[in-house]
Amino acid sequence: MTAALLPFFIGIPFLSAGLLSILGDRPRLHVSLLLANLVASTAGGLALVAHFTHADPMAHGVALWPFGIAIPFAADMFAALMLSVTGILSVTCAIFALYSGHATSRYFAPLLLVLVAGVNGALLTADLFNLFVFVEVMLLPSYGLFVLASRAKAPYRQIAGARLYVTINLLTSTIFLGGVGFVYGTAGTVNIAQLAGLAREDSAVAISVGVVLFALSIKASVVPVHGWLARAYPSTSPAITALFSGLHTKVAIYAIYRIYAVIFDGDARFLWIGVLLFSLTMIIGVLGAVGENTTRSILAFHMVSQIGYILLGVALFTEFGLTAGIFYLLHHMIVKASLFLSTGAIEIKYGTGTLGRVPEILKREPVIAVAFFVAALSLAGLPPFSGFVAKLSLIMASIEADQIAAAVVMIVVSLFTILSMLKIWSGIFWGGRTAEDQPEAEPGFPAGTNLGTLTRKQVRQLAEPTPRIGVGLAAPGVILAALTLGLGLGAELLLTLSQTAAQGLLDPSSYVNAVMNS
Amino acid sequence: MILTSVVISLVTCVLAPLLTRAAGRNAGWFLAIPLFAAAAVLVTATGGDFTRPVEQRVAWMPTLDVSFALRLDGLSLVFALLVLVMGGLILAYSARYLGRDGKHGTFYLLMTAFAASMLVLVMTDDLVVLFVAWEATTLCSFFLIGRSGPGAREPAIRTLLVTAAGGLLLLAAVATMAIGTGTTQISDVLTDSIWRDDPAFTATVAVLLAGAAFTKSAQFPFQAWLPDSMVAITPVSAYLHAAAMVKAGIYLLLRFSPPLAGETLWTVLLVTSGLVTALLGAAGALRRFDLKELLAYSTISQLGLLVVMIGVGTEASLKAAVIHTIAHALFKSALFMLIGVIDHQAGTRDMRELKHLRTRMPVTFTALVLGAASMAGLPPLLGFVSKEGMFAAFLEVHGPVWFPVLLVAGTATTSALTLAYSARIVLGAFAGKEEPASAGTREAHEAPAAFWAVPALGAASGLVLGVLPFLLDSLVAPAATATAGTPVDVHLALWHGLNPELAVSAVVIAVGTGLVLARRPVEVFMLPRGIPVSGLAIVDRTRQGIIRLGAVVGNWTGSTSPSRHLGIPAVCLAIIAVAGISTVGELPSVVGNPSRPEDWLLLILVAAGVASAVYSHTRYTAIVVTGIIGFAMTLWYFILGAADVALTQLLVEILTVCVLVLVLRRLPNKFPRESRKKRLGAGLVAVAAGTATTIGVWALTGRREMSEAAEYFMTQGEEATGGANLVNTILVDFRALDTLGEVTVLGVAGIAIAALLRSRAPSAIRSAKLDTGTPIYDSLENSVFLRVTTRVLGPLIIVLSLYLLLRGHQEPGGGFISALVGGAGFALLYLAAPSDAAARIRWPYLGLIGAGFLVAAGTGFMGYLEGSFLTPLHTEVLGVKLTSPLLFDVGVYLGVLGVMLAAFNLLGRHDEHSDPTHPSHDAEDEEHDAFLALDDMGDDRMDRTIEDEVTSR
Amino acid sequence: MTIAITIGILVAGAVYLFLQREMLRIILGFILLGHAGNLILIAAGGTSRREEPFGTPGDTGIVADPLPQAFVLTAIVIAFSITIFMLVLAVTGKDDDDTTEPEGDDDDPEFDVSTLPKGIIEAEDITTQSLNLSREKSLSRSRTHQSDNEAQSDLGAENEGGDR
Repeated sequence: MTAALLPFFIGIPFLSAGLLSILGDRPRLHVSLLLANLVASTAGGLALVAHFTHADPMAHGVALWPFGIAIPFAADMFAALMLSVTGILSVTCAIFALYSGHATSRYFAPLLLVLVAGVNGALLTADLFNLFVFVEVMLLPSYGLFVLASRAKAPYRQIAGARLYVTINLLTSTIFLGGVGFVYGTAGTVNIAQLAGLAREDSAVAISVGVVLFALSIKASVVPVHGWLARAYPSTSPAITALFSGLHTKVAIYAIYRIYAVIFDGDARFLWIGVLLFSLTMIIGVLGAVGENTTRSILAFHMVSQIGYILLGVALFTEFGLTAGIFYLLHHMIVKASLFLSTGAIEIKYGTGTLGRVPEILKREPVIAVAFFVAALSLAGLPPFSGFVAKLSLIMASIEADQIAAAVVMIVVSLFTILSMLKIWSGIFWGGRTAEDQPEAEPGFPAGTNLGTLTRKQVRQLAEPTPRIGVGLAAPGVILAALTLGLGLGAELLLTLSQTAAQGLLDPSSYVNAVMNS
Repeated sequence: MILTSVVISLVTCVLAPLLTRAAGRNAGWFLAIPLFAAAAVLVTATGGDFTRPVEQRVAWMPTLDVSFALRLDGLSLVFALLVLVMGGLILAYSARYLGRDGKHGTFYLLMTAFAASMLVLVMTDDLVVLFVAWEATTLCSFFLIGRSGPGAREPAIRTLLVTAAGGLLLLAAVATMAIGTGTTQISDVLTDSIWRDDPAFTATVAVLLAGAAFTKSAQFPFQAWLPDSMVAITPVSAYLHAAAMVKAGIYLLLRFSPPLAGETLWTVLLVTSGLVTALLGAAGALRRFDLKELLAYSTISQLGLLVVMIGVGTEASLKAAVIHTIAHALFKSALFMLIGVIDHQAGTRDMRELKHLRTRMPVTFTALVLGAASMAGLPPLLGFVSKEGMFAAFLEVHGPVWFPVLLVAGTATTSALTLAYSARIVLGAFAGKEEPASAGTREAHEAPAAFWAVPALGAASGLVLGVLPFLLDSLVAPAATATAGTPVDVHLALWHGLNPELAVSAVVIAVGTGLVLARRPVEVFMLPRGIPVSGLAIVDRTRQGIIRLGAVVGNWTGSTSPSRHLGIPAVCLAIIAVAGISTVGELPSVVGNPSRPEDWLLLILVAAGVASAVYSHTRYTAIVVTGIIGFAMTLWYFILGAADVALTQLLVEILTVCVLVLVLRRLPNKFPRESRKKRLGAGLVAVAAGTATTIGVWALTGRREMSEAAEYFMTQGEEATGGANLVNTILVDFRALDTLGEVTVLGVAGIAIAALLRSRAPSAIRSAKLDTGTPIYDSLENSVFLRVTTRVLGPLIIVLSLYLLLRGHQEPGGGFISALVGGAGFALLYLAAPSDAAARIRWPYLGLIGAGFLVAAGTGFMGYLEGSFLTPLHTEVLGVKLTSPLLFDVGVYLGVLGVMLAAFNLLGRHDEHSDPTHPSHDAEDEEHDAFLALDDMGDDRMDRTIEDEVTSR
Repeated sequence: MTIAITIGILVAGAVYLFLQREMLRIILGFILLGHAGNLILIAAGGTSRREEPFGTPGDTGIVADPLPQAFVLTAIVIAFSITIFMLVLAVTGKDDDDTTEPEGDDDDPEFDVSTLPKGIIEAEDITTQSLNLSREKSLSRSRTHQSDNEAQSDLGAENEGGDR
């Protein structure tokens, strides 16, 4: 797998996107080319993972210009793991979107292909300005996907969410651009390999890269700039929220890990800022989640809290801490998408995600209920799921790096996580009714719905023969839930891979040398 | 060998649902057999000699050096037998307890799963596996409680929250111990030297373990969930909440006694909580009328006694704890099952109703008496033997003189109260025995033999072991040795001769019988004396409090209006600048003189533009002013020596203003006035962010020599690519990947706009309120001047854009600039059109964008002929130097043109485009509709029927 | 120093504008912010050297640094594309572009299920076949392209019957 083939990860999706936007009127071609692309990208990622189990990181200067001039594409175990998991996510979310009806829109496949190309590019590039460009390549299609709905039917809520989403991302990109400008102004280069360790010696470069990290932390929704994610994600369609949850914030987190490991070379002076900010993120995220009352805003707030956990890995910056952080990152991508997909399936078929407004789902959709509960337990860190392994190793790592306060925060936050998951479980799956206020069923309506609180539209929806979630809509959530169970029991495989990736971050010399003589 | 017993229990777990589908409720019998077999396997595994531990290990996560390790020593054997035998008995019992119909698949699955996880919990030698099993039991209990009807949901949630909180305390303890001792193997952890060297470590672990055990075994202050979970059916209560799950906490305390027993903190914690719980439980039991709740409170009280025994920590008290655990498991599960039998036969388990019931249940009565007597600690039952052992242990405790007195006094009163409520159970359950057989009272007949067999067996074994306690010696001795850490020899006997503990027992029995005789006044006295605040209320109030706090924190993020979300990063930038000033030491001096006199002119122009943009009240002036600032920026780029950039900025400015105007006619004219306070706030944040950026730019730029990359471009740039315009060569040769990304961004913007306008119709165009008489109303005549000039200008613009495209490599120009010029040409065409309908440009803009992608990415892949993606290729065709970057520029041209067409077509025309039912669709939309026939046909039909019905709203 | 002050003024104006309610003012704010970002990039290249970077200049001491100029060109075009998208967003809201409107009064506050276009693969009537399709797709990573088409064809057959 020579390094020269790395640009295939972005080239092929661009070509297919171009082809599909020309041939707009063939839904079947759109579906098959889209899925073929996504499966190929995942297969490529997995091949890279297999390659890096026994090989050093590889890099390739695009267009073979000399080092320092060409834009380098570099890949190591961490990048390969991210490529594979983002690939898996995009395949499952694409299948979910196809079944939830996005496939008919001729814009869906090209936009998704460009989004995946942007993600792959951002994961592989080792040049700060090129990272800015690929983040934009990732963002523009997501603006389009955000507002995708059937003909002239997008509710105002989706547009308001899109306005917030576009403006905050444009502000973040411009701050990122300013940061890159300052880096070029102080260090004279934007190539990550040339900048290696520079921020440790020169405090001016440290501040400039600090601005870049600040922009990335807005994108990763660290406190205090977390509000936009909690408000914007719930207002689009469920399939798109699941897709964004797996891709956008995760690319920003990957970039934070990479930049801090290579350019700051794990500088211990600034770690306390990280520990403080990320503990706050955990607390405020989960508190926000407990206070909400629709499934997707609870899960969106959870994402903020879980991102606090993931980034704590880099704030510890020990080998055990980084391993735990990377494992947590990969686990969270899978579990969060599974949660969004299973609750999304319910929201699509039952019309609403508000707690207490849905007939008892446990009896009606046992498969989805099991998938949700497995993923919820994994998120809360209960055994025997991957979440438990992730949380346990992160707590042990923080105790080893004697960050006792962070460990205590992690434990208290998992209790609140369980509380909010129970809120969804009793609100949606147990139908949100306790015995006493269980009105007898209206004739013709499913048991347990009192009509007073429902709007006219819901009354009509519920009057239809009670909808059942089809296999296609349920399968993605169930597959990802099974994956988290598999990762829990067979955690050893992913742990060793994360360890190799962590060693690659702890001592970035092999990564930097690969880029230098690419 | 011992792994096989775990495997057997897991297999039963898998078999359970299949067997239930086949045998219905009788599956209980078939599931009991493998549990008894597993118990037999364990006993044979130790080969009769229980003192030698048997170990077995399977690797699970070597990176965290965690392995699925099992170690069977005396203590594990006792608890494992307890779990398996009790489990088997209760499953057999539930074969009769459950209703004939009804789905019991999940019940048996969860019960066998619980048995398996408890077995792993008591036998594992790995801290992490201990935690995994611990949480598995919590989950099983949550589901078992939750499945008994909607009323049981709140209790299930409360139980899960309390036990999960305990579980997390255990997680903290496990992590601390694993890191402290460097291993997760329990046997090594217990013998590690850190317990004595590091008092802080020992104290934290002691508190954490105690907390975890207290939540699991329902000790004060977490005792509320046990009575609350009595909504579950009797087998669940008998097995989980009497025999097994609540014993997990006791097992944890016993397992970690060796290192912790000597700790004063450990003793204080356990003894105080144990005593308080024991007394509270006993008092609470006296006030209950529901027999099952009474048993729940008695369980809390008995567990309290156990915790006190473990807290004392001497060999004798640990021995007594082991015996009492066995005794309690036997009589408590028997009592629960008997109450289940009474409830099943008599239809109620409330004493007040049982009073009016003639209960003809001789066997149940005798079993109940035996069980209650054992609980009360009356000779010759096993309960008496364990209580004697307890009193003996407490009497010979050394330490401050008041300590043994407090212990004995506390446990003696508890035992007396226990005697009282045991009698209350028996009398309460069978008070109606003497009722004359009048016609009115209902008869409660004896249950069938298969139903009372199991509980009767339990109660009888209490009697047999009471009379011959030495049968247990070989079992209790190794268990006591495992917990005390030093070898303990055990000689159980009913009669130890006259000694102080016998005297205490006598006093206790006397006081107890007194309470029983005076049970009427005692009941009246006890009723109002409930504990002032109920544990459940605390759990609920904390839960509601957290949810309210969550709502407040959630509201900090405000709604989807962007102003709050955009303000926070601006403030953070100011904070970063302040941090920067304080940390950055001295800066290198400025190179050359960065500013020139003419800069000030432009600075003032920009400042004036910004000020008027801020204060403008109509949208029209705001747009004009932004145009001015754009042109000022173009001048800035010219004087800074960036010709290409200035040209691009100029063209971008023109086209942005065009699109702004297209948008303007759909928006109201004036901006509404903002409140003074809000404007001041925004102004403050703006000034802070502005100064922060100025300081940043001043400090971080212009203080270094030319970068090597710039040096390379200027010296070898031209001969490497053959292009003189260095900026363009960077764009399409050196950093072509950036430009490829850029083209994609622009193209996707066009697609996104089309997707947006297809998903939601833009707001209506606001009429210009022109009266029809004025000459400027008729657009046809007014555009005649423009139409004439376009006929001349049009071809000129196209030639200019092609010329700019071709010369890009040598002179300012290139893909973007030429395409923007072409776009400006189309803007002119659009403006010159007499009416919106005529203004449509019939080119398929999505096709153009797609073509742009294909050409650009295609050139990239052509680069592989020379070795890598996007490498430039040079060929001579008929003397004209053709290079792949030129082809790349053509791709850029197509993409940019596509977006311009998309913007003008979609935004520029009258509303009929967005209204789906409007007849005059254009080609682009027919193709759309064919594609979406499937989609619309379904949607419209459904909508139309529903719309008519709903329109009356 | 002058370019630093200009950038500061632009940023101040931009921040004030995008803290307002109207979407149009927010967009104008972001246009100014884009200008400021581009000027930062140019300033990073050093504003003391201001000659046009053409050919291979003899005295490189006076020629401006071409690299940030290339960055600015890319950034301008990206900012332009996002601006026109935001402009379209400005007009697709309620009757005006006020961003502080309460969200759901004219629409159903809940996510309206009918807004989702009807799936071509209507899940109910496809039973195990679609489950194999989806499980096949996501689990077995190395599916050959050929088997995609054959799964595709029965899909196609099914559709054919449906809408023609």
